[in-house]
Amino acid sequence: MKNLILISLILFSHIIFANEKKIFSVALEDKKYYFSALNEFFIETYNKEILNNDLKKLESLLFYTGIELLEDYDSQLLLKYPTSSTRFILGRKSFQEKKFKSALDHLSKIHPDHRYFPEGKLIEAQVFQAQNKIKERDESYLACQSSAEKNESSAQNDKIKRYYRMVFEICLINKARHHFKKEEYKEALGAYDRIPKKSYKWPYLLLEKAWVYYQMGDYNRTLGLLTTYKSPLLDTYFFPEAEYLAALTYFKLCLYEDSLIIVNQFYQFYRPRFQALDLVFKKNRSSQNYFYNIMFREDEELVKEGEFVSQILTRMKKQTRFSLDFNAIFKIEQEIKRIEQNENKIIKDKLVPHLEEVKSNLLTKINYNAKTDIFQFLDSIPFISQELYKLNLEIISKKKDLVYFNKRLIADRSRGDYSNVTRSRFEYFWKFDGSFWADELGDYSMGLKSNCQTIRNEKVEED
Amino acid sequence: MRLFIYVFSFYMMSEAYGEDQKVIYQYKKYEKFDLGNLEVKGQLIAPGDISVRERERRRFELDLFARDNFDPFLSKDLESLR
Repeated sequence: MKNLILISLILFSHIIFANEKKIFSVALEDKKYYFSALNEFFIETYNKEILNNDLKKLESLLFYTGIELLEDYDSQLLLKYPTSSTRFILGRKSFQEKKFKSALDHLSKIHPDHRYFPEGKLIEAQVFQAQNKIKERDESYLACQSSAEKNESSAQNDKIKRYYRMVFEICLINKARHHFKKEEYKEALGAYDRIPKKSYKWPYLLLEKAWVYYQMGDYNRTLGLLTTYKSPLLDTYFFPEAEYLAALTYFKLCLYEDSLIIVNQFYQFYRPRFQALDLVFKKNRSSQNYFYNIMFREDEELVKEGEFVSQILTRMKKQTRFSLDFNAIFKIEQEIKRIEQNENKIIKDKLVPHLEEVKSNLLTKINYNAKTDIFQFLDSIPFISQELYKLNLEIISKKKDLVYFNKRLIADRSRGDYSNVTRSRFEYFWKFDGSFWADELGDYSMGLKSNCQTIRNEKVEED
Repeated sequence: MRLFIYVFSFYMMSEAYGEDQKVIYQYKKYEKFDLGNLEVKGQLIAPGDISVRERERRRFELDLFARDNFDPFLSKDLESLR
């Protein structure tokens, strides 16, 4: 009997403890300490049977905190909580690990009304692309676009609207890219042209569209699009590949001197800067916060490169993932501040260390992403540099041909004519008067005539 | 014996003195050829046409990079979202 009473007491205390814990997470949520509540929620439930109410609670907490915190969680733990949010995380993870079947399984279970459904469809389309299932891929892109538009129209603030617009545009752009790969250039241009100039993605698309025109043989339009990057509005967008494409296009038009100007400019102006940056960044490669810090503070070693570095960093800060992570850090800092101000020491000691740890993890993540972006950018330089070198050799070879066959190009540097501009009836026509105007950007075309026709040199008269 | 030594020494001295003397060889300064009087035996032939066969110049065309797909951009865009 004594034992029975003892066992009953222990069980009773466990029930009370469990209830207190549950009450604690609810209390935290009620006080709008969402990040702390999320952590407490997992502590309370990870070894219990998960009920529908638990799933609803998790979804409501993730609505405030975002899912960035769960990205490092163990997959087995997340599998215990079959919500649309966790399925999205698991589907994304499986896709990154190239476990396509598992990715499709998770992504297909995201509810169509859920906020991550459009992005889930975008990942699903890429899984189908990897499996070469074209019909399914196109269906997923369509579902992505329509659901993103629907969510955008019902979004309550501008930031969320922008996110859905971004997802919509990526789905559309990916379709254009698939058309390009299949050499369906007109269809590709049709899709690209649906992206408005105000879009965050638009400056990046100029390069892609320039390649489309290049493959179509419309070299004047290629050069016109690339000229847009020279406008002051787009000075943060510097792409070595755009420089190479411009040089290659001049080469195709047999305007060798123009091509050489770009090649030389790259070697004399950009390459030394890239090398200097490479040295500074490599020195800090293993730092946990260097790349995060330079996004907000000026680094003494980088001051020399001034504008150039800040342009690269500004471009990175415009990415959605950076704003999501910065936003999460901001919210955590606010939560810490409120806890410090309003709670007693026991609660502070319990909650603040965890929040500090979460914040530190997010900083490391931003640092890692910034580092990856910078090194990916710098790693592209040697390839472009090598291609420009090859182009240089080709130009020399072509010039030698001319000498060998005693010929010369029809004009030394043809400077263009409006008659050489081809355009569809939907394309605007602006005359460039030495200054860039926002509404003209992206609609430029050169009017250069191909200089590839050769004429025989006249015989040199002997004295 | 003493006499033999004197004779031998005298002989050696005269040999050593003889080595210092310069020997001058003289070659013919010039030789005259009478080309008109030269006769070559054989059949006289001359080419009717002097020509050099033109060789086509060898061109090494480098494979210049021209993008034909945007595959790397697909995953990059996805990563830029989160």
